Amino acid sequence: MANRAPMLRIGQQDLKCRQGCGFYGNTQFDGLCSKCFRERNDKQRKRQKAGEDHETLKVNASSAGGTLERKSPQHSLSLGRANKTKKQPEKEETPAASSTMPRKKFTVPAVLQKTLKNKFPAIAPQPRVPSATESQFMLQLRQLRIPDDGKRKLKSEIQRLDHEIRKYMNNNSSKNVDELSDLVQNAYTRFADVVHNDARFEIATNEDRDIAIDFFEKVVMTQNHNLLFSPYFTTDEESDIKVQKRIRQLSWITTKHLDCSIDEVNAEARDLVYNAISELVGIDSYYSPQEKLLCTVRCCRHIFELLKRATGGPASADDFLPALIFVVLKANPVRLHSNLNFVNRFTNASRVMSGEGGYYFTNLCSAIAFIENLNGESLGISAEEFDAYMSGEQTYSTPWESALLACESLHLISENMKCMEQLQKRNSVISTGIKDFQRELIEFQREVTEKVDTVMAKAPLTLLPIKTPPFLISQARAHLAQDGVEAAAGHYQSNLLSLSPQTMTVKGKEQILEDSQLEVAHTLALKDTSVGSVGRLSPLHPNLPQPDQLFASPIFSYTPFDAVSLLEESSENDDVLMLGTEFHGGLTNINYDFDLSDQSGENSVADESKLNLDEFDPLVQERNTPAETTLLDTTADSLIDSDVPVSEVLLPSPLKPEVANYRGFSNFEIPSISCNTGDFSSLNQDVNDPVPLVQSNK
Amino acid sequence: MATAPRSGGSGSGAAQRPNGTSQNKSCQFKLVLLGESAVGKSSLVLRFVKGQFHEYQESTIGAAFLTQTICIEDTVVKFEIWDTAGQERYHSLAPMYYRGAQAAIVVYDIQNQDSFQRAKTWVKELHKQASPNIVIALAGNKADLSNIRVVEFDEAKQYAEENGLLFMETSAKTGMNVNDIFLAIAKKLPKNDNNPGTVIKPNGNESTQTTNNCCK
Repeated sequence: MANRAPMLRIGQQDLKCRQGCGFYGNTQFDGLCSKCFRERNDKQRKRQKAGEDHETLKVNASSAGGTLERKSPQHSLSLGRANKTKKQPEKEETPAASSTMPRKKFTVPAVLQKTLKNKFPAIAPQPRVPSATESQFMLQLRQLRIPDDGKRKLKSEIQRLDHEIRKYMNNNSSKNVDELSDLVQNAYTRFADVVHNDARFEIATNEDRDIAIDFFEKVVMTQNHNLLFSPYFTTDEESDIKVQKRIRQLSWITTKHLDCSIDEVNAEARDLVYNAISELVGIDSYYSPQEKLLCTVRCCRHIFELLKRATGGPASADDFLPALIFVVLKANPVRLHSNLNFVNRFTNASRVMSGEGGYYFTNLCSAIAFIENLNGESLGISAEEFDAYMSGEQTYSTPWESALLACESLHLISENMKCMEQLQKRNSVISTGIKDFQRELIEFQREVTEKVDTVMAKAPLTLLPIKTPPFLISQARAHLAQDGVEAAAGHYQSNLLSLSPQTMTVKGKEQILEDSQLEVAHTLALKDTSVGSVGRLSPLHPNLPQPDQLFASPIFSYTPFDAVSLLEESSENDDVLMLGTEFHGGLTNINYDFDLSDQSGENSVADESKLNLDEFDPLVQERNTPAETTLLDTTADSLIDSDVPVSEVLLPSPLKPEVANYRGFSNFEIPSISCNTGDFSSLNQDVNDPVPLVQSNK
Repeated sequence: MATAPRSGGSGSGAAQRPNGTSQNKSCQFKLVLLGESAVGKSSLVLRFVKGQFHEYQESTIGAAFLTQTICIEDTVVKFEIWDTAGQERYHSLAPMYYRGAQAAIVVYDIQNQDSFQRAKTWVKELHKQASPNIVIALAGNKADLSNIRVVEFDEAKQYAEENGLLFMETSAKTGMNVNDIFLAIAKKLPKNDNNPGTVIKPNGNESTQTTNNCCK
């Protein structure tokens, strides 16, 4: 097929010329009209460049290539035209062949000619198509597993039959296709005898002999396809057209008429029918009878596959023949009779008489015979009805035809259906995913609320009143008094900044605390809070006392610097008090602690993010407000109560800057100090009167 | 079909026998199945070829063309079984199938008188049109349902004897007589050709006589 292009070119030229002039050929011009003759001369001149020795053969071959190709465009031509154009070339061609033949004889002796022909495909592979197929055959010949002598014999036999066929075709006296067929069949018989009895084939196996016989037939038939396929002196052409017309008239036949079990509407069945049809139509595209038979076999296997699905078991001939008839009717293959006759006449007779190929071919022949002869009775309808259908008086609509009409949309629909199915599948996957996700979400929500509830239950917000411990105010006042007014806005951040380097991570914190030699209980508490601060969802440690869980860490993380700041100013007795105050004022401290842990988690000291985080912290609000507004108010009250003049700046600020100042240097001293603070429980007891002490201290 | 097919080529396709077994003869015969539809033609063949009834193997694509090899004495006999469509409307196509066949089994259903009458017409037709040496066997199928039979055994037996047919009542369902009928045919077929390469030669000659009148 790779050689299609050059073939096509020659064929088109031939067609154009003949269509254009429409004159009959002249023997003086190699059987062509003057125009065609000129063209041929041009071609010959071109070929002479390639090699002058093989000129005569090339002329033969090119005419062969031309006719081979010329036939295929006819498939697309309308019937009448195909008929007209086909006849003409046939007539013109034979004289052409006849003219070259004698020339051969004159130039070289027949024996020499043969040897020349033998060698030449091997020696000089040529760009022309026939030579390509020839060289392909040469290659195949070399691959045959028969002795070299046998190969030589095979070659000469091929040439002999070739020659005989051409000679017969050139003999202008009455031609009879049966004679020609006899000639070929006798040659087959003769060659089969040679292969099986000749000494040159002695060592070959039977299979190899069969292959050699097949090869013989294939080569001769392919080479002479143009002469033997639908010869002009037969009525094959007319039969082809007649049966084609007939099939067209019978397009109204449905599977029901034929007693056939094909489901015309089923898409899968239709696909298989299409496969069978394409194979059936493909028969025409092969040159050798063997290939045509193989194509028939493939077609029939598709039908069996189809029937197997329809009936559930291997189909018998009762099912098969109607199905084949249906397929032939729907396929309406071109040149049906020409193809069947070609196979019948020129293939080895045993091939159509036996074997799978023979069986299917017989079925095909009988299907066509049935189609040609069918009447109302054979379709199970009345003769009147049949006539009405045939004449077109009665319209019909078969599922097959309507499906053909709606083919495109049907196809689209089925495609869309497939697409929809896929989408639906995906959709269901997604919706189940959504459901799962929703369920998980609900579960999660439930868990969260549960945990929050447990936490809430463990740590009710009853601590609110403690938010504004008066002592803090007094403390603040004390600081104010000592160090003057600090920047209220800056205290918080500066405090954090000073802390962050040392308490970047929880671990660091812990370490510090460990260093501070706190009691085991304290460290435990710290750990708990750190856990709690990281994920409030995790259940709190049930072992530990509730206040510790919520407030311990703030206390302890802050104790150091708070303690420091206080310790700096207070005596040892005050330590106790201070711890107590820390405990009471835990809430304010908590906030700082959370911020720190958050920060440590992020490893960043950015103020902005810290503030944002605070917003989401449920405790933050409580802290923020107390720290800056509410706390101030309350403290103001308390301050008023205690008769101390209030400044807005006072409250939260004083502690922190101081811490910052002290922190840097005294950090490592913290442990000893906090250690000195001693027992928690003992502290708790002393918590009762911190304010007076502080105040007194001040 | 415009032209009669040729049968001059003598059995080149029959050389399936490997080298070195020349003491055994090998023959290939074409056997055609005739009979009304639904009498169990293909079931009979499936039983013979695959030993199955209803339980079809995946590999069986169709029951219309099957081959089976059996051995009798020193001869390997390969049957090539061609099924035909039994419907009345396809009756006229039958000659194409039995053209060149060396054997035929005409099947009828013992519960169905019509199928027996059809079988008789097949036999008549074969005698008239098929190759004269064709071996014809008459098979009364569905013998497992003999309690509701319509066609009597004796009646069929007598008809077979009159016409020189092999006769057996068979059952594809139970397997009764299925192998026997094929064996009987194989025994009756001429196996006179000793050349392994051209086994079908005599049969090929037979079929040449009939080709011209049967291809429509």
